[in-house]
Amino acid sequence: MPLTQKQGVESNLLLLEGTVDIACAAELKSLLIEGLGAGKSMRVSMERADSLDVTVVQLLWAAAREAKAGGVELVLEGLVPGPIQAALGGMGFREFRSAMGMS
Amino acid sequence: MSGTGSVDQFRQSFCEEARDVLVELESALLELNENRSDEGLVGRVFRGLHTLKGSGSMFGFDELAEFTHNLETAFDEVRNGRLAVCSDLIDLTLKALDRIRMLLEDDREKAAGEAPLRAGIRSRLKKLTGSCEAEPTRGVTNAPVVLSGQVRDWHIHFAPGADMMRTGADPFLLLRELGRMGGLSVQASMDAVPPLKELDPERCYVSWEMVLATTADRDAIRDVFIFVDDRCELVIEPASASSCETQEAFKIREVCAADLTAIGLADQRAGTGGRRVYDKADNATSLRVPAGKLDQFVDLVGELVTVQARLSELSARRDDPEVAEVSEEIERLTSSLRENSMNIRMMPMRSTFEKFRRLVHDLARDLGKDVELTIEGADTELDKSVIDQLSDPLMHLIRNSMDHGIEAPGMRGTCGKRSTATIHLSARHSGASVLIGVSDDGGGIDAEAVRHRAVEKGLVDADATLTESQIYSLIFQPGFSTAKQLTDVSGRGVGMDVVRQRVESLRGTIEVVSKPGVGTSVTLRLPLTLAIIDGLLVSVGEAYFVLPLAVTLECIELTRADVERANGKHLANVRGELIPYIRLRQYFDIAGDAPEIEQIMMVETGEGRYGFVVDKVLGDCQTVIKNLGRVYRHVQVVSGATILGNGSVALIVDPERLVQEVVRSLAHGVRGRPLGAGRGREGLQSQSTTPADGPGHGDRARSR
Repeated sequence: MPLTQKQGVESNLLLLEGTVDIACAAELKSLLIEGLGAGKSMRVSMERADSLDVTVVQLLWAAAREAKAGGVELVLEGLVPGPIQAALGGMGFREFRSAMGMS
Repeated sequence: MSGTGSVDQFRQSFCEEARDVLVELESALLELNENRSDEGLVGRVFRGLHTLKGSGSMFGFDELAEFTHNLETAFDEVRNGRLAVCSDLIDLTLKALDRIRMLLEDDREKAAGEAPLRAGIRSRLKKLTGSCEAEPTRGVTNAPVVLSGQVRDWHIHFAPGADMMRTGADPFLLLRELGRMGGLSVQASMDAVPPLKELDPERCYVSWEMVLATTADRDAIRDVFIFVDDRCELVIEPASASSCETQEAFKIREVCAADLTAIGLADQRAGTGGRRVYDKADNATSLRVPAGKLDQFVDLVGELVTVQARLSELSARRDDPEVAEVSEEIERLTSSLRENSMNIRMMPMRSTFEKFRRLVHDLARDLGKDVELTIEGADTELDKSVIDQLSDPLMHLIRNSMDHGIEAPGMRGTCGKRSTATIHLSARHSGASVLIGVSDDGGGIDAEAVRHRAVEKGLVDADATLTESQIYSLIFQPGFSTAKQLTDVSGRGVGMDVVRQRVESLRGTIEVVSKPGVGTSVTLRLPLTLAIIDGLLVSVGEAYFVLPLAVTLECIELTRADVERANGKHLANVRGELIPYIRLRQYFDIAGDAPEIEQIMMVETGEGRYGFVVDKVLGDCQTVIKNLGRVYRHVQVVSGATILGNGSVALIVDPERLVQEVVRSLAHGVRGRPLGAGRGREGLQSQSTTPADGPGHGDRARSR
């Protein structure tokens, strides 16, 4: 499964693995809403992800924006694989990278 | 994510569009064959191949992409002046297009079976180009476009349709393709992304502003988006000072091709099955709709027309001004809707005509003749269902012209003709019909040879008097051929029969004009649409019939006294001319007595002028044709039915077939075998069917 959520006491961890794309976008949305609604900080790990598509980027962007507005912490955990960094850069997702603290 | 069905649907959509690209490619190649130094044509061919390759790769047609890559390389060599256009290259590319067409069938077994053919083409291409280029790596088939000329900056705005991702598309792939054309600077705009809870997870809200530094022109850039440009917002314009400022404002990071290949797109494509298919964008300027959906739509409009007719009739009976007002409004709207729905089905003849360039090219080569195809009126529009059925008859007519009509080059020179012969395809509107013409400047039809052969085959009597037109019509008889030798192209006497059958099934007619030594012209007159018919509503007893208005000439009265004077013959005297008539009451076995004064509807058919006797002529009507269904598929004399406002069913008579049927049945009755032209009229002249038919010399009918 490309998406796994691990519940913690103070924060939740969302693990993205392999190809994360539109096929799991609906599930990702639910997990993000659920995570942000819990009032706990949220950590997103892309370390094991091979690729993301636009739908995933949009969801993470919207979640980061909402987290910021609601005073909830949403941070990236661990390293972002080089190909994903390059893809996001190549697609001009500067704002997204900045919002996720990648740059 | 949408299911596999959706993916298949969009792969199919790609295939359909790729077939259009193939038609355009064939056309450009054949033009290039005539104008070998035309750089514009070389560019068209190159772009077409590049599009096929790139898009094929994106949709997972890797074999197609790899194969096309070889052709693209060859034409890149041509673009760069390193390879000259020659017949071998054109022929080889045309053959390759056939293989690509097969690969579009997406049939692995067939594709594997044809692998040696593709390998042969590939090897011949390499020999031609002197190339020892390595095969592209599977899955990353898009080698950077080799560019020449001056580098220019282009500003590109790309906003995919909202549902693009849902249909399996991926903008990453398009941007990667762009990146191969030069230096690409990209900025994604996230402004349209809504709050998380309102966000549709499968929708694409992102748009892109890009600056591309490339030597490629606007067309080449647009080609990257060729399969989506009618489904997205796409602006490509030379980067002006303002766009440079925009670039500055975006603080765009330069992205080179290497960046884009490094981003793991190959993996991504593998993971998504290489889908790159696009749904309708909000700003779409045109849509590709499956023909079946269109037919369904037209059917529903037909139902609406029927119901509206009933409403009008009810309204007329009720005499209620309010109901009448609503009914009239619905009638007006229905009429507009019907007209619009019919227009949607209209398509230009261009793609059908263009397909024959290849046929003419190949046949000319096979027959050792020099033939050019000229096209006129390619933008003439015709109902799709008619167009779909025209390919075969046109093909047979062209094959026949090229094999039998056009002389060998040596003979043309002897006759003082240009060595290059011409086949001319034309289309034009003529009232409610379209005239499709196939003419050649060959030797013309040898009427005497046709007549002689017809006598040999027992189609006509040796002493029969036949007009030139009647003689020419014999070439459309089943199994008729004057060819002394059977060739691969024609000579079996099948093709022209196919033409006749198909044209008749389309409610059309054929006219042949030929002049010995000058050439032959065959004109197909076809209705604009098969879905609606302008007709004349008539009644016989309780039954209603619709006669196609296009073939009706006039209406004349037939009294009992006229019938009595006719001497037992079914002939009407119309201004001195004796016209045979058919009684619909008798033919359709309708009970009841005929009125004192009957009506004869005069119609023009391939067999000449005939009259149909009916009780009443109720007026003209535009009706939506309904098929009678499989049970009645063998009933030829009726082309369909329609439901009238009062709920009754009216049969739509096919006058041509009805006359043929009557002529045939009379001929069989008298001679026991089919007869040549004119025999049916004789049969009707000798027919006495009602006791009322007395002696006489034809009725002196009164024209109305």
